Parts: sequence; C-alpha cells; structure tokens
Amino acid sequence: MSGNDLVDLRCAALESNWQRKGFLDKLFSEAEKAHILSSADPFIQVWTYWTMKEAVYKIYSRATGIRTFAPAKLLCRDLDRYSGTVSIDSELFHTRTSITPNYIHTIATKGFSSLTDIRIEIIEHNGDVPEYASKKPACLSHHGAYLALIY
Amino acid sequence: MTPKEELISRLQTIVSPYAQNKEALDAIHEDTDFINDLKINSANLVDVILDVEEEFDIVIDNDAMEKMLTVKASLDVIATKLNEK
Repeated sequence: MSGNDLVDLRCAALESNWQRKGFLDKLFSEAEKAHILSSADPFIQVWTYWTMKEAVYKIYSRATGIRTFAPAKLLCRDLDRYSGTVSIDSELFHTRTSITPNYIHTIATKGFSSLTDIRIEIIEHNGDVPEYASKKPACLSHHGAYLALIY
Repeated sequence: MTPKEELISRLQTIVSPYAQNKEALDAIHEDTDFINDLKINSANLVDVILDVEEEFDIVIDNDAMEKMLTVKASLDVIATKLNEK
C-alpha cells in the first residue's frame, strides 16, 4: 500500500499562515517544531513535514478505516532532506520527498524498498479532479494547480 | 433560533473562508463533513480549530481535535468545552 501528498507552494503561501499562533503546536511534535524553527527555510520544512504526515495518513486511514485529525500523532524523522520516516501507533512508514520551486510532493510506503517501485505522474491541472478510472492510481493528491498520481 | 442552530450558524461563519463548496456551506447541517462535503483543504482544518478556539474562547486539546471532522462532532466538542468553563 502506498500514499502520496502534494502541496502547491503558491497556494500554501496564500491559504495558510504557518506563523499563526497555535498553528505549529496543533500540527507538530516538539522535536518537529524545533527542527522547523531552526531550519534555513521554515516554510519549506513545514510543508515537507505536512506532506509526509498526509501521505502516511492516507495509507493508515485506508488500512484501518479510521478517519481522524491527529497530525501530531504522526511523527516525522528526516534521514536527509529528501527521505525520512513517519511513525504512528508504533507502525513505521518510509517516505521520499521531492521539492521544486512550485510544489512539494511526498510518497510513502510501508517497506523502504517498495519506494522505488512507485511510478509518479505530476500534471498541471486546475478545477475538479478528473475521472482517472482507466488509469487506476494507487493514490492521488490535488492541490492548487497540480495533480499528483502514483501507481 | 434554537441554541443548536445558533451554534451551527456561528460555525458556518468560521468555516466559510475555507469551504470550497459554497452550496454545501449554504446548506450546512449537523451531518456536514468538513472535508468530504465542504471541500475544506486538510491543511486548513487547523485554522478551523484555531478559529473555533478564538470565537468560543475555549482550548481544544489534541484528543478533542481528532474528532472534529464534521459539524456534529465539532458541536459536541464546543458544548463540552463550554460546560467545563
């Protein structure tokens, strides 16, 4: 099982204010907050962690049938700028993130080796998410001007 | 307006800047789901929670926040927190 999440950085800057009082406290652990605030680009670090959490939440909620808004329970650890792990309820997931000037996209799987099996398609797309029934993505993420599909 | 209707109306005002489905926002009711019906971006759920805290002058802990994906669950959390004051 795999999951993905994309954040359109232009939209994120318009739609969210990560410096809003309480914002980081509700979404991130103490360790994550410390890392965000000491990073060279906190804005990028916020949305990197967010896509890691969301990509793993999608796997978790599909597997368990549980819907919840508990971002601080998904604990991110970065191994380097682009790969990391996220744990929830003592289950560990592996992630790989790509950061471009326009968007951040993270893929997640249970097994580290299956990360390389994931095929990623990112297209510019506005409006409603189209019917991709024939292509059957394993997961998709739509934000702002971009649609990201994984197979 | 019943007290519950008044709460729903205050909640409607709070979620309105984030709701991308304006028809569902106009027709908001107890069973309305923030993400599935109102199409609120999941990253903006935290803004809804923070706005609810400010509007009602309550503190929403993470255990309560977990459930706040629907109008009904949010009303329950708000009522519980107001009672604790």
